[in-house]
Amino acid sequence: MLTIKNLHACVEQKNILNGLNLNIKPGEVHAIMGPNGAGKSTLGYVLSGREGYEVLDGQVDFQGHNLLEMTIEERARKGLFLAFQYPIEIPGVSNMEFMKESVNAMRQHRGEERLTAAEFLKKAKEICKQVQLPLDFLKRGVNEGFSGGEKKRNEIMQMILLEPSLCILDESDSGLDVDALQIVANGVNSQRDGKRSFIVITHYQRLLDYIEPDFVHILANGKVVKTGDASLAKQVEKEGYAFLGLDNSEEVTA
Amino acid sequence: MTTQIDQALSRTYDAGFISDIESETFAVGLNEDVIRRISAMKNEPEWMIEWRLRAYRNWLTMEEPEWAHVQYPKIDFQAISYYSAPKSMKDKPKSLDEVDPELLRVYEKLGIPLYEQEMLAGVAVDVVFDSVSVVTTFREKLKEAGVIFCPISEAIQTYPELVKKYLGSVVPRSDNYFAALNSAVFTDGSFVYIPKGVRCPMELSTYFRINEQNTGQFERTLIIADEGSFVSYLEGCTAPQRDENQLHAAVVELVAMDDAQIKYSTVQNWYPGDENGKGGIYNFVTKRGICHTNAKVSWTQVETGSAITWKYPSCVLKGDNSIGEFYSVALTRGRQQADTGTKMIHLGKNTKSTIISKGISAGHSNNTYRGLVHMGSKADGARNFTQCDSLLIGDLCGAHTFPYIESRNPTAKVEHEATTSKVGDDQLFLCQQRGLDAEKAVSMIVNGFCKEVFKELPMEFAVEAGKLLEISLEGSVG
Amino acid sequence: MTWLQQVIHRGQAMNDWLSPVRSQALEALRNTTWPTRRTESWKYTSLAALEQLKLTATEPATQPSIDAIAGLNSLDLVFINGELQTDVNSLSLPAGLHINNLQSASAVQRVIATSMFAQIKPKRHLFGLVNDALANDVLFIDIDNGSHIVQPIRIVSLSTDGHESHHRVLVRIGNEAKASIIEQTQGEHTSLSTGFTEFDLGQQAYLEHYRLAMHTHQAIYFGGCHFCLHHNAELNSTFIGYGSQLSRTDIDIIHNGEHAKAKLNAVYLLGESEHINLHSTIEHAKPHGTTEENVRGIVGDKASAVFNGRIHIHRGAQKTQAALNNRNLLLSRRGQINTKPELEIYADDVQCAHGATVAEITDEALYYLRSRGISRSQALVMLNFGFIQELINQMPNQQLAKWLEPQLRARFKEMEVR
Repeated sequence: MLTIKNLHACVEQKNILNGLNLNIKPGEVHAIMGPNGAGKSTLGYVLSGREGYEVLDGQVDFQGHNLLEMTIEERARKGLFLAFQYPIEIPGVSNMEFMKESVNAMRQHRGEERLTAAEFLKKAKEICKQVQLPLDFLKRGVNEGFSGGEKKRNEIMQMILLEPSLCILDESDSGLDVDALQIVANGVNSQRDGKRSFIVITHYQRLLDYIEPDFVHILANGKVVKTGDASLAKQVEKEGYAFLGLDNSEEVTA
Repeated sequence: MTTQIDQALSRTYDAGFISDIESETFAVGLNEDVIRRISAMKNEPEWMIEWRLRAYRNWLTMEEPEWAHVQYPKIDFQAISYYSAPKSMKDKPKSLDEVDPELLRVYEKLGIPLYEQEMLAGVAVDVVFDSVSVVTTFREKLKEAGVIFCPISEAIQTYPELVKKYLGSVVPRSDNYFAALNSAVFTDGSFVYIPKGVRCPMELSTYFRINEQNTGQFERTLIIADEGSFVSYLEGCTAPQRDENQLHAAVVELVAMDDAQIKYSTVQNWYPGDENGKGGIYNFVTKRGICHTNAKVSWTQVETGSAITWKYPSCVLKGDNSIGEFYSVALTRGRQQADTGTKMIHLGKNTKSTIISKGISAGHSNNTYRGLVHMGSKADGARNFTQCDSLLIGDLCGAHTFPYIESRNPTAKVEHEATTSKVGDDQLFLCQQRGLDAEKAVSMIVNGFCKEVFKELPMEFAVEAGKLLEISLEGSVG
Repeated sequence: MTWLQQVIHRGQAMNDWLSPVRSQALEALRNTTWPTRRTESWKYTSLAALEQLKLTATEPATQPSIDAIAGLNSLDLVFINGELQTDVNSLSLPAGLHINNLQSASAVQRVIATSMFAQIKPKRHLFGLVNDALANDVLFIDIDNGSHIVQPIRIVSLSTDGHESHHRVLVRIGNEAKASIIEQTQGEHTSLSTGFTEFDLGQQAYLEHYRLAMHTHQAIYFGGCHFCLHHNAELNSTFIGYGSQLSRTDIDIIHNGEHAKAKLNAVYLLGESEHINLHSTIEHAKPHGTTEENVRGIVGDKASAVFNGRIHIHRGAQKTQAALNNRNLLLSRRGQINTKPELEIYADDVQCAHGATVAEITDEALYYLRSRGISRSQALVMLNFGFIQELINQMPNQQLAKWLEPQLRARFKEMEVR
């Protein structure tokens, strides 16, 4: 699915990723943890192609394609989805229009017919229900006036709607109460079909109680410093990052 | 409560004394002969006389601008004397010991000690009294660093090539009515040249004083910062308390070559007239800087004086990546009228400008911010941010904001915000309930309001500016 | 003869009961200095096109017809080339609503009208004076105190190719009365039109108002909406402007009673080499007034927009709250945006603010849309249109919004998006 080799990247001339390696097979769930400033969010931005994030070295292969050569929208159409930590508000562009255009962009790419307004609405309503967002959310501006939890659920809704092959969840659990966390986790789990892969970026073990990872990677100073199974996350939860020789201040603030 | 504030604002002008110094002053009136005489007094070369006369002829064809939000009776330009110099200056003093002691006492009263040993460490001062520069301190030390800091009248003699090249290059002779008048009759002012790569070793400073009755002051300042150099320049102004209006029409030109930086700070405290609007300085000033590649010009002004202020220190951001800044506090009270602001002309790519303007209106005064932000068609990626805040004290004053925004480039970004607020009775009540008197409370609130600008001033000036505001707000409150 | 001299000449020839108003206007026009680029309020607008204008009236093969707006069920009143086409005497009107042509109105109606006609509209508007001098038919809409007129009243003014037209409307909304008025002005091909409307909102009156200036790009248009708000009156107004070869609209809102409320939303959308000059002036003459003004514009191709938004708080108008926000998007290198929000404040206990921006779509918003597979160009169109859609969504009459939106979209598609 995704192979990252020796990835180096910088933002505003500051090196954030320093030789990161990662290999993800279809159907796998990889959790990425690590202290603040480790480069977790940067990884998501670099993979999705955000401007201002400059790749200095390394290769990324995504389903046999050179990911780094593609535009933002090409990556998305090839099935890469990033659920944002802080989704932006876009007043004036309705959620409905936004999602319909996205879905149809994907369909067009796959050589499928555009969905009619009615077909889209039917589908959107179902997913709205699943992530427990009221229907009038479709009419409102993208994320406009949504609470933090509503924004996160809106991201999961888009993920379900767009049927990507690789989902990167960037702290989709932050700021959520237990109920909202479950909604998000259930949304993710409903999409696990043995083929779709996930990268779950999180600070806390908590989310991993609901979404069980196949691998847990600890990211520090822009590279993977330790890889293990789900028990690694539990160890971090208990002991912080100190046992890895990393600064533990993360846990103090947590 | 409002009357308390009013009382707090009625104070006397500290710098309003008149000095009894024997002067040589031209009879009132303006014509080509007067200009020739000014030029002759300064022993100017022929090209300078020609330059002045061309400006004068231009001026004759121009009309006095009326667009500013100020009202004043028409100025009779024939009722002004265009040259006044202390008699003792005839044989220019070689050192401070030769300066008329009365003149030195004037500056002591103003709090500007001229003796080098008494000076604030590291500030070189040029002093302009009516029409002439009286003394420039620290010249030798500056010379060692290659910095030229002298009266412009002297620079015309000593550095004619530099003056010829840059005089009028930023503010052309016919730029506007008052600039044209200045170009014709300017008498003195300061000249600064900072050579390539030199960081000027001390703050440079000029104090302007109008003393003589019915005289106008028309000084001209030219600062050239050569490639990669840096200079911080301070300007202060006062005038005696007189019933007649006096005209001040200065021109300041700044040239910041590639990678150079000029920081220009002003504390303007010209006599503002009495509470009924009698007397006071008409301050019509043109200040402009040009920035070449990567250069920066930063204007900071604290304006508390003058009956009328008409002043727009501007930046022409010609070079790519150049930066313009304007930080301003303008306080008006009594019958003062201020129409002040800036122009940021973005021509080069990735040019940036910041405008922070704080206007405080009290009494019967009117305080106007007027600014222009222009994004030229080649100013790709240019940015401007403007914040204009007005504070009203009392219900008889006016606070106005007139920003012009012109954009010709789709990648340029302009943001302008303006707000108004008042010193509220409830704020005052809170402060008083906590044991502060109204006067202290007002000055605290005003100082807080101006903080963003004060922090841009060099240390000594920031203290002076804060004090000036406090004095301006001082009175019998209790 | 200059264009202005021709106007004066023609105005002198008009002889009807409006003559006192006309002669005042003519006197003012005689004393007018013709605006140049050095005239502050015309700084960015050239009137040269007016002098070069050659109008050759062509009679359309069929009488132009005005389509009803679906679902709106409006009462339509139609001017064509300045002539009132609707037979106002044969309309069946709800109780409390009176519609007359002032030229044939009763003496009583004339007395009511005289105290307002050409009184609410400030005298400084040059083309308002031209309209005073030349408008023949004057539509007078009079709503009795306490009457709530539910049916939207739609006034359409059409100027056909080659014609010059001047239409005029006067609206009085009685105390505690309510109404919804849609003004739609359309100029086809090469036409010159002026259209000025004055509104008097009585105490506690409510007016929902729309001015849709939808001209083709060869048209020349000068328009104005002038509102006088009495005690507790409330106005909710939306302006949509297309811009044309030369177009200017002046909106004046005068808070003439305490506790009045005004909301003004304005949108301009320009392409080709169109020009629009929009001036709004809010006069807070009395205390406790509220104004909320949002103006947004998109300028593409070689078009140029001028916005001047003035808020004037008079001495004594304490406790006023007024906010103006103007945002612009410039899509093309050849386009121009000139904006000047103005605050003039003579009272201290007020809350006033204005803001203006000229900017491009943020990279962040663009990234978000693209990360969902939407192409860059499509995302730009969506974001740009969303920028004005926000104000369209705020229109109280969503039926009208529904009719307007596809037209704006179509217009937007024609504009050059980078």
